[in-house]
Amino acid sequence: MANADSADVIVVGTGVIGCLVAEQMLDAGLSVLMLEAGPRVDRWRIVENYRNLPPSLRLSFDAPYPPKPWAPHMESYSDAAAAEYLQLEGPNARAYRQGYVRYAGGATWHWAGICWRLTPDDMRLKSLYGVGRDWDFGYDTLEPYYTRAEYAMGVCGPSDSALQWPPIRSKPYPMGPLPFGPGEQRFTDAAARIGLKNLPSAQARNSGIAYDGRPPCCGNNNCIPVCPIAAKYDAAAALPKIEAKGGRILVNAVVYRVETGQKNAIAAVHYFDPDKLTHRVTGKIFVLACNGIETPKILLLSKDERNPNGLANSSDQVGRNMMDQPKLVAELTLAEPMWTGVGPVQGSSIMQTSQGEFRSRHGGALFRFNNMARSRVGAIAAVRKGLVGKALDTEIRRLSACTAEIAIEHELLPDPNNRLTLSDKKDWLGINKPNIHYDVGDYVRRCASEYSVPIAKSLAAELGATDVQVSTEFTNSDHIMGGMIMGADSTRSVVDLDCRAHDHSNLFLPGGGAMTSSGCGNSTLTMAALALKAADAVMDQVKHS
Amino acid sequence: MSPLYRDDAPEDFSLFRRRILVAGGLLLGGLAPATAQTGPALAADNTVTDFANQFMSLSSLLIQHRLDRDVGVRLAAALKAQSPDFAAHVGELLGIAKTKNATIVEDFFYDLADGPLKDTALGIISAWYIGVIVDAPNAEVFAYELALMFQPTIDVMTIPTYAISGPNGWTSEATPLSNMPKF
Repeated sequence: MANADSADVIVVGTGVIGCLVAEQMLDAGLSVLMLEAGPRVDRWRIVENYRNLPPSLRLSFDAPYPPKPWAPHMESYSDAAAAEYLQLEGPNARAYRQGYVRYAGGATWHWAGICWRLTPDDMRLKSLYGVGRDWDFGYDTLEPYYTRAEYAMGVCGPSDSALQWPPIRSKPYPMGPLPFGPGEQRFTDAAARIGLKNLPSAQARNSGIAYDGRPPCCGNNNCIPVCPIAAKYDAAAALPKIEAKGGRILVNAVVYRVETGQKNAIAAVHYFDPDKLTHRVTGKIFVLACNGIETPKILLLSKDERNPNGLANSSDQVGRNMMDQPKLVAELTLAEPMWTGVGPVQGSSIMQTSQGEFRSRHGGALFRFNNMARSRVGAIAAVRKGLVGKALDTEIRRLSACTAEIAIEHELLPDPNNRLTLSDKKDWLGINKPNIHYDVGDYVRRCASEYSVPIAKSLAAELGATDVQVSTEFTNSDHIMGGMIMGADSTRSVVDLDCRAHDHSNLFLPGGGAMTSSGCGNSTLTMAALALKAADAVMDQVKHS
Repeated sequence: MSPLYRDDAPEDFSLFRRRILVAGGLLLGGLAPATAQTGPALAADNTVTDFANQFMSLSSLLIQHRLDRDVGVRLAAALKAQSPDFAAHVGELLGIAKTKNATIVEDFFYDLADGPLKDTALGIISAWYIGVIVDAPNAEVFAYELALMFQPTIDVMTIPTYAISGPNGWTSEATPLSNMPKF
């Protein structure tokens, strides 16, 4: 094999999970090689790409990140483009159109930066409500890792426990909360009038001060698809730190097979370069952190004689239990200006609606005011009306200020029938594309009809909406979870409580795929906490081997 | 320092530098009669400049706001290249405005009959506001931060990627709709 390379720890994927694990390994004195399928691009290029997008494409978070032929990802600018890579089927196929870019840094580039924790109840759905699965450890076990992840990524949040979610913390946030703009404040006030508390989000965005070499947020209102100033935790800040510590990052290296050796331990990974040449990389420990779709895809691609259903798959759970938080959006027209576009694009949520006895019947929901500047939307709509002069300017201002969006994100249960398999369709390199069957299920549908949509309508009424349109089709939240589900019982889970594959002693699969329940909040912080827990286990394993 | 100076991109992509290059190009064009250019080349340059001037004159009648000439020069060329009737429409619209002694768009726009001429006027307004001639994948963007669409809300809303204030420098104070910014 050409260009064989090796390190103590091979990390496949350079998103938040790969970066956090790699840094921990390097700090412990281990050598680390990271493999990334996509290219490495500077921040300024992405910002320029964004500014040079036609206006209607600026909502497509992936548009500034054109995929390389060898590392395709879903492109959302049209239905036809979106159907190219992810092969989706089932009653809610549209709701699994998951957005992630295959670039060095992965989704850290375009994530919103929101860092909710799960609550203790979110981890005990089976015991408390008789649905879903329990985690095989409790919130107390995860809490120290949550805190470490918050300090590693630089998460800001309120010091007042009445505004924290959940208010069970061993340390304060490293930084205080970001201020609200006018829209978020009005949303908060309206929610309070109907007994709901809109909380400032915990966010991996520097608040008021520089942190970890990154500047404070200046409210550029472009967290999605790229923070132009690096105030948000992302790869462009994380990857150079890894290199400074001696880590090696190999880009345009598309891992397509994991090779097993003695005792079914992992011996190597194989990757294609852009010339379609193959390479073999060896190591002691292997960490696959390519996200909740790409990692199960690689495991299934890697089937061999000993592992006829794919690696890590003796339980037949690889690629099953695919989760997200199915989203509905309420579009509001208001009599009075609401105003968006002041501060980050997301900065708060109503979380109390994620908890309650109702969870035995239907899931919880999160409500979030969308703070993306609506000037673009308002202007396009006003120009299309054929207005001119003062009438045009007045209508742009009205449509921009007096319209708003409330996103509703729903809790989903793990269902083995929501399943990722390998499609017969192949990508540019000849690798099978992922195929996902998806049904949000009655637990979500009941939540929408009996609970979340009525609450959204009450919020809209309290805001003085003159018109409310709630979407009827669920869409993706880009929080990919479940496909390598965690558990102590190796017959019904893929990884153990440290995200180690039950079937392979030196293979770790940390991240969203291991999550046993979804909750309603953004999944990144839980993924990061699991990554740090896995990193501790890797170091312990290396020390004792 | 120009308000357009940006420190988040290398010099090649700085609008400040772009603007100097464009301005320098126009300046050289203007000096051309005294230097090397002769005959047809000069005539062609003059034609381009004349049409750009016409386009800017019409644009100023259609839109009562400050318009960036560099954007206008590029829009004029692209719109002309896209439609064989465009140049004639510009002339006709200017003629109608002159007949009406128009100084603002409301003086003459509402007298235009529905049809290609009115569509051209609306197309010019749309391009200045939205920053593109066609809002579709792969379309050329003529203006981002200079697109007028951001201006009617510029007292409150951020132009995405450009900060208005500084670290935690924003508040929840809301501005009345009636306070239209001047731009």
